[in-house]
Amino acid sequence: MSTFFLAVALLLLAFFWQITLSGIQRKVTARIHRRVGSPWYQNFIDLFKAWSKSSISHGFIYDFGVLMALGGTIATLIFVPAGNLIVFKNLDNFFVIVYLLAIGSLGMAMSAVGSGNPWASIGVMRALTQMLGYELPYIMTVFGIIYANKTASIHAIAEAQQTMGIMGWNMFRMPLGVIVGFISLMGMLGKKPFDTPIAPAEIASGPLVEYGGKHLGMLMLQHEFATFVEVGLFVNLFMGGGTIITFLIKYFVVYMLATMIASVVARFKIDQLVTFYYKVPLALAFIQTAIIIFTGLGVSIWL
Amino acid sequence: MALNTLILFILLGGLVTYFVSKVNNKAGAWLTVIISLVALFYVYSLKDSSGEVFNVFNYGNYSLNLVTSNYAWFFSIVMVLVYSMVSFFNPYWMEKVIHPSAYNLFYLLSLGGTLGVFYAKDFLTLFIFWELVVWSSMFIIPLGKSRRASVVYYGISTIGSFAMLYAILMLNVKYGTFDIQSNIQNMSSDPKFAVLFFFLIVMAGLTKLGIFPFYTWLPIAHGNAPHTFSPVLSGGLVKMGGFVAFLMTAVLPTSKVFANHVQIINNPYENYILMILGAISIIIGTLMAIKQDDAKKLIAYSTVSNSGYILIGLAMVDQTGFAGGMMHVFNHAMASGAMFLSFAAVAYRTGTTKISELGGLIKRMPVTFTAYLVAIISLAGIPPMSGFASKWLIYQGLLRKGNMFIAFAAFFGSVGSFMYVFRPLAGAFLGQLSPKHKEIKEVPFWMQLPMLIMSGLTILYGVYPGLMLKYIAKIQETIGLTPLQIDGTKILTPNGMWDSWIVTLVFTIGFIIAAVIYFVLPKAKSVDLMDTYTGGEFIYDPDKYHYSSNYYAPFERLYKNHPSVEKFYDAIALRFHEFGLLVKTWFFNENPAFTVFWISLVMTAIIMWGDKI
Amino acid sequence: MALNENEKINEIDVNELDCRDTLTFWEKFGNIFRSKSIWMLHYCTGCGAMELPPTMTSRFDMERIGMAPMATPRQADVLLITGYLSVKTLRRIIYTYEQMQNPKYVVGFGSCTLNGGVYYDSYAVISRLDYYLPVDLYIAGCMPRPEAVMSGFKKLMDMIKKGEALGWKRYQKYYDWYKKNQVRALGEVYVKDEFHE
Repeated sequence: MSTFFLAVALLLLAFFWQITLSGIQRKVTARIHRRVGSPWYQNFIDLFKAWSKSSISHGFIYDFGVLMALGGTIATLIFVPAGNLIVFKNLDNFFVIVYLLAIGSLGMAMSAVGSGNPWASIGVMRALTQMLGYELPYIMTVFGIIYANKTASIHAIAEAQQTMGIMGWNMFRMPLGVIVGFISLMGMLGKKPFDTPIAPAEIASGPLVEYGGKHLGMLMLQHEFATFVEVGLFVNLFMGGGTIITFLIKYFVVYMLATMIASVVARFKIDQLVTFYYKVPLALAFIQTAIIIFTGLGVSIWL
Repeated sequence: MALNTLILFILLGGLVTYFVSKVNNKAGAWLTVIISLVALFYVYSLKDSSGEVFNVFNYGNYSLNLVTSNYAWFFSIVMVLVYSMVSFFNPYWMEKVIHPSAYNLFYLLSLGGTLGVFYAKDFLTLFIFWELVVWSSMFIIPLGKSRRASVVYYGISTIGSFAMLYAILMLNVKYGTFDIQSNIQNMSSDPKFAVLFFFLIVMAGLTKLGIFPFYTWLPIAHGNAPHTFSPVLSGGLVKMGGFVAFLMTAVLPTSKVFANHVQIINNPYENYILMILGAISIIIGTLMAIKQDDAKKLIAYSTVSNSGYILIGLAMVDQTGFAGGMMHVFNHAMASGAMFLSFAAVAYRTGTTKISELGGLIKRMPVTFTAYLVAIISLAGIPPMSGFASKWLIYQGLLRKGNMFIAFAAFFGSVGSFMYVFRPLAGAFLGQLSPKHKEIKEVPFWMQLPMLIMSGLTILYGVYPGLMLKYIAKIQETIGLTPLQIDGTKILTPNGMWDSWIVTLVFTIGFIIAAVIYFVLPKAKSVDLMDTYTGGEFIYDPDKYHYSSNYYAPFERLYKNHPSVEKFYDAIALRFHEFGLLVKTWFFNENPAFTVFWISLVMTAIIMWGDKI
Repeated sequence: MALNENEKINEIDVNELDCRDTLTFWEKFGNIFRSKSIWMLHYCTGCGAMELPPTMTSRFDMERIGMAPMATPRQADVLLITGYLSVKTLRRIIYTYEQMQNPKYVVGFGSCTLNGGVYYDSYAVISRLDYYLPVDLYIAGCMPRPEAVMSGFKKLMDMIKKGEALGWKRYQKYYDWYKKNQVRALGEVYVKDEFHE
């Protein structure tokens, strides 16, 4: 029963925290653009408004995919440890989370293509190609972390860092890894310069092109939850977990840093994006992991 | 009925089927269904049998024997399951195959052959049945589209077969026996000598599995075989190679025999070479599959990629990765079989497997779509389907040993598989329905049934992977590895655990939450697929409005000018051809000048050095 | 085609027959959110499009009142008719408007949408938008400056909150009337293929 309440608490936390942050993120971007920007609660209004509108359906798979996307992402979210708020103690395996997250993406992709709009197909094509770009450097870095810690459990990795104090965080012990992780995180979040799949001016917001009303609202919610999973993973892997408060502070810092970078850069073309990921972050990830596996540096010893 | 009787029953049944099919196609095809189902039930009853010896044939000093063992059962049940499921498609394809009676005959002959391969007690039996399978499948492949396909298939199979034959005969010369167990014991006492035979026999496995330098036959043979035989090739016969690789890596056990050899990242270099080959296959298979427009070729290349996973898993010979490799044999058989079957179903109704000519079939063929969807979720390794369990175990094994380069290939194949499995889904099943396919119907019930059973098994072993992993743990115990730890639905590995049941449960709850939100909110209005946002433009032609050809064009551009082993083979073939021409010109020319030249040359030689000869 | 003098449209005062009192509680509740978050369609028809970039960016910053540009009509709430509307564009505008999700609003920019403006006697431009689409709000000017646009949007928000911006309901109720006018303006359209009419 306590598992159930913890899960509900985590869901509510993710809901309120991430949507608030999305609002703040809009504000931050606006300030960088020297604008006033929307109020912090703007994204709640947007979400509820989208839910209050009428919508259309392009057939069974169009609806089912949306349910699968949101359901899959909610399921993933429950496995992510947020500080000391951990729902399933030993089940937060890195691969389970990464692959469960794929259910959400697959559902959304299916639903988008099921709408019959070629723009959605192009967007999905770009999203999948981008996924091949960012997943590999990320997983290779995490491979090093898991090898060093001898466990794939996220909260165990977070705790191991936390016990060694601030200098024990993986971001200080594996400086190349954290760069790779952060660049990949930007790609996962779909922030500029990696927002190629949903480029509104080129392909009319890609997979989202046909969605309106409640479908759009649910996919917005799915995106917010997925953001929580992705940033949460990054914080746990590289910055230690800590208590729920420190977790949220770290989360805030990472998310705002990503936002600030995103607000001043332009968009990659999709083939440039893949080439970029395979040139810089992948090479760095290989170097980092090779250092860990072959020399043991960054595991127990400090340079 | 004993095992030898069963094989005899299948082989004779093949002959009976041949004559029945001469009279009535359909009856013969249903006979293949019945015979393969009998085989399925009988093989299932052998589940716990081990060490029982059955004699097939005696001649002088040589006798061909079969022996039961739990790993042979594992491989053969996968194989017979694929055969019996696919056989349901046979009756519906009789009018489309060129020689229906020959098709039925060879279908059953190859089934009998595979059982013989798995249960063989000695290498001679293994080789004879191996060749039976190769030959009978070689005759089935040209019944589809192309004759060249079977030439390529046989050509590459020959490399493996002859390598294996050489090794078997050499072993017999050295140790004086064909028996697999005693040969393996002899080999393990002499590791230096064993290396050569290890590679020679494994080569037969690699050619069948479609590993890197030998993968070229898969897309050609799978793509051109009759639509009903492609699932057997990909889901079944490829696993025969897996079995040989299993015999050499695990029964031998390489991790112990080669323990004193040079180690590369915690693996003996022999195993590491196999893993590297597997890794290259994964990457090539993935990249090539992304490019294909023909769905069958796409699935064939995905088979190359997944064979890489199987080989990596088997070559790891440890607690987790090995179990993952074994389970992947089953998962890939089910997933790729179901994918091929669903495209056979599509081809049955539409007559094509080209993705760019299809589209929007979900409205017309929902069951086929469901089967395909479940199969690709499993193939891409997404929980809660069974493909995740095996891939997860392989990752755990790789992580444990720190094999980062192999792991890179494994992750590349896994993420890349999202790309290639999605292409047929988007191009053939989703999107706009072409007007010429407006009228088609779902395939008949007997064709839906095997697809549904395969999807059901995929889901079942995804939710309860323990059911199968327990058996695999038993196999691990038999061959002297540390067995995998399973506790109910929990799989415990040194790097962490996974509880498939809780993951499924949480996923269901998430889905229910989403569904509640969906149904509480106002109901959506249903609109036509052509009523989409077009930038205000008016579009009337669904065919033109369907995005399916050149799906990954920007990504394909990045590796357009890749080096390819096919070109290398073609170059070799060309050189051989040229050499032949050279010989022909100089020795068999009709021009008398050449004859005069040779005669004068011989004469000169005799005159100059005649006394010394 | 623009309207001939002798072919008068049978006018009905659609504003009189508002559907305001049919608002349910949930609609009133939803209107509060709808009024604070307005997504506009990025579909620029006339010269008023030029006024939108300054309205959106740093100087006037439309986002602070919760407005944001959206790429497709399915996602958008408000359709901006930014200036003159040729008959060819009208056909696309109607298609786009019908693809938008309820509740949806139409804002007409400048005098061209009011009475034809400088194009009042053009053969290719329609002169009164609300014969064809249910306009919720006009912003006068030729063209209206960003200040006027902002103030217009504020007005639209007030209207939505009070439940006065009910153009979409009008369109449903008087669909036949609008269709008749639209067909009359477009005339008969001969479709050859995707690219030619």
